[in-house]
Amino acid sequence: MQGVNYLIAAYAVAWVGLFIYLAFIVMRIRGVRTELAAVQELVREQQEKTQN
Amino acid sequence: MALTKPDTSVRQQDTPVSTKRSAGFPLASLLLGGLALGGMLITIWMAFLYAPTDAVEGPPQRIFYLHVPVAWVGMLSFIILTICGVVYLWQRDERWDWAARASAEIGAVFLSLALITGSIWGKTTWGTWWTWDPQLTTTLILWFMFIAYLMLRSYMGRTAASARSGAVLAIIGVIDVPIIYESAVWWRTLHPPKEIGVAGALPSEVVLTLMVALVSFTLLYSFLMIQVYQLQRAQTLAERLRALVE
Repeated sequence: MQGVNYLIAAYAVAWVGLFIYLAFIVMRIRGVRTELAAVQELVREQQEKTQN
Repeated sequence: MALTKPDTSVRQQDTPVSTKRSAGFPLASLLLGGLALGGMLITIWMAFLYAPTDAVEGPPQRIFYLHVPVAWVGMLSFIILTICGVVYLWQRDERWDWAARASAEIGAVFLSLALITGSIWGKTTWGTWWTWDPQLTTTLILWFMFIAYLMLRSYMGRTAASARSGAVLAIIGVIDVPIIYESAVWWRTLHPPKEIGVAGALPSEVVLTLMVALVSFTLLYSFLMIQVYQLQRAQTLAERLRALVE
């Protein structure tokens, strides 16, 4: 029975670990997209100021 | 999304970073993601219901279908990291450096999982969580190589010097990969030797399950590579645009 517990523990650790890593990647992608949009807006504003 | 004026194009190491997304990646990403997910579900079914229970080790032997593929992806990641590093040193195209960074990050995660699952399996089989066995020790050295690479790249930032140093570290570290692979042959070790390809060593169901698991985890690695590569690219672009406006 203890062997089954170890089996469950190994699969649980691996799958939870992989899902946490996937969630971490998704959060970082969202964060960098938001940052990119904000910085590109700043660049656009600077360009408009230079043109005027 | 695309900037209109040429003075906003961002360059480093003579490689322009376009703000447009690569058209081929979303489709490849979707395809690989779907295949990886399907493969994982099949792997779980095969590992628990198709493959026979080991007569000696019992149910914990099924950790094998998880431990071997994650360890394989960990080692594959380091080989890909080194190839990307070498091509970067040759071509000085930072897209190879983004791929190297992506592979290092993914490899560190998978090798950590390999060490954890191996440790759990070791507890059931050897009665200990860890032993300074040659294969375990060389795998731990590779894990430290990944950590050293990630720390170095994080400390040095997104510069050409950082990319060069990372590539050199990868070239040194990759020597450990064949040592891990052959350690069970070269030294007396507790770790089970290679049994794939040896006639009669493993039942065909076990070999088939392991092969499906290896393919599925390799697909997952490919899927993650695309995501993290795109992330590296976007982070580089954001950093350079920020430098322009500051």
